[in-house]
Amino acid sequence: MNAKKQTNEVAAYKPHSWQTALEFRAMWAVLALGIVLPFLVSKPLATEIMIYALFALAFNLLLGHTGMISFGHAGYLGVGSYAGAMVVFYGGVGVWVSLLAAMAGGALVAAVVGLLAVKRKGAYFAMISLAIAQMLYFLALSPFKRWTEGEDSLKLPPLSVDFPFHLNLSDQTQLYFFVFVIVALAVLAQWRLLNSPFGHALKGIRENEDRIRACGFNITRIKFLSIIYSGLFSGLAGGLLAIYLGAASVTTLFWMTSGVVVMQTVLGGTHTFMGPFIGTMVFLYLRNNISNYTDRWEMWVGAMFMALILLFPEGIWGTVMQKIGERRRPSAS
Amino acid sequence: MELSWEIILMQVIMGLALGAIYVLLASGLSIIFGLLDVLNFAHGTFYMLGAYATFVAISLCGNFWVGIIAAVVIVSLIGALFEMTLLKRLYGTDQIYPLLMCFGLSIFLPDIIKMIFGLVGKVVDYPSLLQGATFVDNLILPKYRIFLVVLMAVVLLALYLFMKKTSIGMIIRAATRDRLMVNCLGINVSRVWTVGFMLGVGLAALAGAVAAPMVQTIPNMGDEMTIEAFVVVVIGGLGSLGGAALGGLILGQVVSFVSLLAPDWSNVSIFLTMALILVLRPRGLFGEEGRD
Amino acid sequence: MKRFLVLTMLAGLCALAFASAAPAAPPADIGWEFPLSGPYGFYAEEMKRGVDMAVDEWNAKGGVLGKPVKVLIRDSELKADVALRRMKEFVDSGIPIIGGNLGGGISMVINQWANKNKVLYMSTCHNSLGQGSDWGYYGFTTGIKSYMTGAALADFAFEKLGKKWMVIAADYRWGHDQVAAFLVKSKAAGGEFVGAIYTPIGTRDFSAYVPQILAKKPDFLVLSVFGSDLVAAIKQFGELGLSQRVKLALPKTAMPIMKECGSAYNENVYGAVTWYWTLYKKYPNAKPFVDAYMKKFNRPPDADTDSGYVGAQTLFMAMEKAGTRTDVAKIIPALENLKWDLNQGPEHFRKCDHVRTQTVVILQGRGAKAKGWDLATVIAEVPPSKTMLPCDVDRADSVYGPIRNKLPGK
Repeated sequence: MNAKKQTNEVAAYKPHSWQTALEFRAMWAVLALGIVLPFLVSKPLATEIMIYALFALAFNLLLGHTGMISFGHAGYLGVGSYAGAMVVFYGGVGVWVSLLAAMAGGALVAAVVGLLAVKRKGAYFAMISLAIAQMLYFLALSPFKRWTEGEDSLKLPPLSVDFPFHLNLSDQTQLYFFVFVIVALAVLAQWRLLNSPFGHALKGIRENEDRIRACGFNITRIKFLSIIYSGLFSGLAGGLLAIYLGAASVTTLFWMTSGVVVMQTVLGGTHTFMGPFIGTMVFLYLRNNISNYTDRWEMWVGAMFMALILLFPEGIWGTVMQKIGERRRPSAS
Repeated sequence: MELSWEIILMQVIMGLALGAIYVLLASGLSIIFGLLDVLNFAHGTFYMLGAYATFVAISLCGNFWVGIIAAVVIVSLIGALFEMTLLKRLYGTDQIYPLLMCFGLSIFLPDIIKMIFGLVGKVVDYPSLLQGATFVDNLILPKYRIFLVVLMAVVLLALYLFMKKTSIGMIIRAATRDRLMVNCLGINVSRVWTVGFMLGVGLAALAGAVAAPMVQTIPNMGDEMTIEAFVVVVIGGLGSLGGAALGGLILGQVVSFVSLLAPDWSNVSIFLTMALILVLRPRGLFGEEGRD
Repeated sequence: MKRFLVLTMLAGLCALAFASAAPAAPPADIGWEFPLSGPYGFYAEEMKRGVDMAVDEWNAKGGVLGKPVKVLIRDSELKADVALRRMKEFVDSGIPIIGGNLGGGISMVINQWANKNKVLYMSTCHNSLGQGSDWGYYGFTTGIKSYMTGAALADFAFEKLGKKWMVIAADYRWGHDQVAAFLVKSKAAGGEFVGAIYTPIGTRDFSAYVPQILAKKPDFLVLSVFGSDLVAAIKQFGELGLSQRVKLALPKTAMPIMKECGSAYNENVYGAVTWYWTLYKKYPNAKPFVDAYMKKFNRPPDADTDSGYVGAQTLFMAMEKAGTRTDVAKIIPALENLKWDLNQGPEHFRKCDHVRTQTVVILQGRGAKAKGWDLATVIAEVPPSKTMLPCDVDRADSVYGPIRNKLPGK
């Protein structure tokens, strides 16, 4: 309770910096792009971009905004995916309940990770989250196979939305716009979250944890909440993934999924809001097209990534923002 | 299935041999993390390079032992090259960047290996001296596995002596604790880091080299080893070499016995072990304060 | 300056990718996908080469229905989501026929989607298409039904290797299919089953199981695993003295496996494949196929090459017969009535479940005597009449289903 009162006091002084304004405009620009995206690239690719962009934003909640490295985000995505799929497969419920279940699944795993590791810093947190996610992968693959179908994927019947109006989700266009609207709402929700007192507190933790603690904030609680939110949104992405694929597959839980979301986020820029979204768009696009030329696309992706880390660690959007910042105030760094 | 004492003894031996690979990998990872504060996500990749280098070395000289030593040296040099040209520039920045650099390497290198060596795995044969097993009644004593256990003991002893008795070892230990101070004393810390990294990946390469006869030697063979190495290091406590060794031994036994009693849990067992140990000792077995 | 150069290079790459991206270029006739990156790259590459060879052959003769054929081949990365997206993209851009895949699980996901969307799907791998509720009118397979290799090997094993047997099986659908097949054949042949061990996919160390296997003294051990697991198992069984005392029966083997195991893959190792290159000596139609491949790639083709090749060939043949390249409603009946004699004698698709009537080949290892790519000897061919169950039985999954759902030791 104390923490909340304090964050409110902090928020009374709300700096509306040029970065926030720029990010705000960028967000609307990207969402506008989203409306025409299925006509620029293939509809399946556009749908995947939306889903994974949401996942990347959720991931960055922890990395860029709270300063915690998580290597186990595949766990939230995967469990969200399976939760959403299982309630449909075993319970026969509709799409909206499925998405709620997915969010709950993601949040649940996040809670477990949080309980085990929230007080750990940097390396420990990364390792524990990675290990938990990988454990979930192996569990889904073998011992829990009778519920998850393991390697064969849990396949869903054709889905449709009935409320508020009817959508046939087997149609690729309708599916895309369904996913797009949900992702857009989630992005807006994250924007609100990050610009709320809670969001400012997160930023403080990232910048200087000890100082924030000295101001009397309950760091552990805020971090824990941050993990939960991250898991919640990741779970939502997982639920959408299951609907899009028509199945829940174990690959969502594999650690490479965590690795890829890290790459996408860093590619876009972890210290920005829209960075992960932009990074995902570019990454999925490139990856799709490089593999049309060579089977060894991983070599190219790896090399480009290493070059990126060395030369443009702020990512695409991050570097752009940085350059704009330099232009605005040439004296400050 | 009845558990005769022979089966139990054999499982223990197999577990020790399994543990040997874990210990080699985890020690290397622990040294790198302790000294450089870098989570080497390419550790498994160096393990793979060790296996391939062994294949190349044996093809050239025909001798398993020379092959292994050559492989470790070659891969250590590759590691040094990587550390000096790419990794070094990222020290001092956010902790995530060196980690990501290693991760990028782990995606990049296997494909290079695929291009050079093709998609079919390579064959590294057991050395003729260690082929086969000694049979005592119902007890099977595989020679190569016993060699692994002996190797692990020798390497651990060598590491201990190196760290405690040589001056380089002392510098490494000091730099692990307080790099600023070591720098102030006029020692080129940067070079110490390179040596440390070489040592770390050299151990990983050794693990790959000795594993090569037992498993499929393909470019992706190291991918899962990285994670398992991390689990061992977390169990032992980040930054503790002794912890890594003990953790590796424990894990070897766990996997060995779980494989026997409940095979479909064998892959999950390492993570469950880690979770259990973390609940009981949140910093791992020998984790140090402030090494979070 | 350096940063600027790298930036320009990256931008240029993006522009290049953008420019060439649009699959809006004339869609191909068939869209294939195989897991070309990832651990099964070798097999995927073989299938791809088979498809390419078929395309080249037909285009050299003037194409299908007078026009050259065009195929698109993409990487599915062995991931269900990527695989599905590729297929959706193919269909989105107007391609009416899709094919390929490796991995029963992914294959079934694609099959289900294809049937939902009325797209013709030609699978080229081992899977359970045609069994139980997984059958769909739009799915065909030139791979083989998983249980067939197990059944064929079991037939051979109980006749020639002994009666007392044990099994180590990978803990997923394919592995279970083999166990079920062996159990059924065991009952019929009077076999003595002494135990089953189920290992998760990605098991690297099989040493833990050797003591119990040796203690039970079976005549042969069925090793129902594949990929890295199989190579590790054979190498370790050789090291630990198991394969000198117990014969090994592999429901699925392949050339790279044999090569990678080296001398451990000895005369005690028996494996089932759907095709082996030395068969050209028996089936002369296969000789040009083997020769063309040898010339191009300096080694003989593997079973997966044949799967890809026959998959493409039958599609082209059906297109010719049906007089259309795009009307799936006409091509499917043409496929159902097609008969061909390519690499393994006369074959056809069974009309009721669209599965290729394939003969299973039993190979015996050669161990240290193996030279180059002459890695095994063909010692038996088991015709489909001995392995394929009647369609209604398969559809109801009444023979293997109950056993598979209640496997001993699970």
